[in-house]
Amino acid sequence: MEHDAMNLKDPNSMNKILGIVLRAGVVLSGVVIAIGTALFVANHSLDDTSSYLAYNPSSIPHGSFPVSLSSITSGLLSLDPFSIIALGFLVLLATPVARVALSLFLFAAERDRKFVYLTAAVLAILLFSILATPLIPLFNG
Amino acid sequence: MIVIEFLLTLFIASIAAGALGSIVGIGGGLIVIPILTLFLGVDIHYAIGASIVSIIATSSGAAATYVKDRITNLRIGMFLETATTTGAIIGAAIAAYLSATVLEAIFGTILIISLVPLVRKIGEEYPPRQELKGLAEKLNLRGDYEERDGRKIEYNATNPGKGLAGMLVAGLISGLLGIGSGTFKVLSMDLAMKLPIKVSTTTSNFMIGVTAAASAGIYFARGDVNPLITAPVALGILIGASIGTRLLVRAKNTAVRKIFALVLAGSAIEMILRALGF
Repeated sequence: MEHDAMNLKDPNSMNKILGIVLRAGVVLSGVVIAIGTALFVANHSLDDTSSYLAYNPSSIPHGSFPVSLSSITSGLLSLDPFSIIALGFLVLLATPVARVALSLFLFAAERDRKFVYLTAAVLAILLFSILATPLIPLFNG
Repeated sequence: MIVIEFLLTLFIASIAAGALGSIVGIGGGLIVIPILTLFLGVDIHYAIGASIVSIIATSSGAAATYVKDRITNLRIGMFLETATTTGAIIGAAIAAYLSATVLEAIFGTILIISLVPLVRKIGEEYPPRQELKGLAEKLNLRGDYEERDGRKIEYNATNPGKGLAGMLVAGLISGLLGIGSGTFKVLSMDLAMKLPIKVSTTTSNFMIGVTAAASAGIYFARGDVNPLITAPVALGILIGASIGTRLLVRAKNTAVRKIFALVLAGSAIEMILRALGF
């Protein structure tokens, strides 16, 4: 009986998958951020913080660290600590999104149609605000 | 200040913030923001960006630890999240047209007023059993969880409409002020929907992560999420949240309620001080 195969139609295994994904996301993000921090500390532990914390209100982005996917990608290839930390943050950011997305399957497995729709709505709003709003001037005050 | 001193200070403060936040269902901005602005002299925009990081880390860190105990009510959280995410988007869109000072003063006042009903039920271990009716019955907004001593706690949600309205306001506040508004979420579930306090704080924990993720893209693209701040905050909070979660499952409900009331008073004072320009 105890096959323990991960069946997407069984609520119990869906709950397990949800737990595993959450844990993996959190651990992965923590490890990546720790690596980035260690690399930075190795070379800059005695630097003054002021140059890293300068905030420029008139430019977008406001700081001098990578925020676009292309600059983070090229930073990763040269093992830039700030790009590695940014990657860790993006993994962390993905965990709540994954949690909502997997809940959709969980409710589907429970054959709870109302909650499948409800969760789909939350997921749609979430993806819209993560992916689309940074591009809309109204939100970039 | 030198890098290593900055990182260690922020890391230790974040462990405390993560532990407290995961117990009472808030994101830790309450501790992280003033440490950054008042103590470490960091620009408020970076502090708010750090608060977003701290909220997501508290939520995911707690969730990764909670898996086994499963106090969080995913159904109630998801139902309410429709209103919170909608409110957060509207809030972010209209933030440029409203005065943050006025909003902080209003929010601080609301929090102070809500201390009254909260203090009135300060000794409550479990809320009286509610009848499952109306929309709550249609959506099956009920649940159960097991306390550490093996007792099974069953509950039904009431007033889902009021809860939804409270969450719309919580979302608006999040979008407008860049805070998690976990306090307001716990208040809505506790005072309006009459859920057991641990269910309210853990469900709020789930919700604040989703709401913060919704606005994180905007803050990240703007360059408000500074890696030198993100790193110690994320690491400290993840560790703190796993400690706090283990404390929560063992804690008495009345203890959680008392800590929450203190945190609420603290947030109210912080909001009003911010409005006054401190």
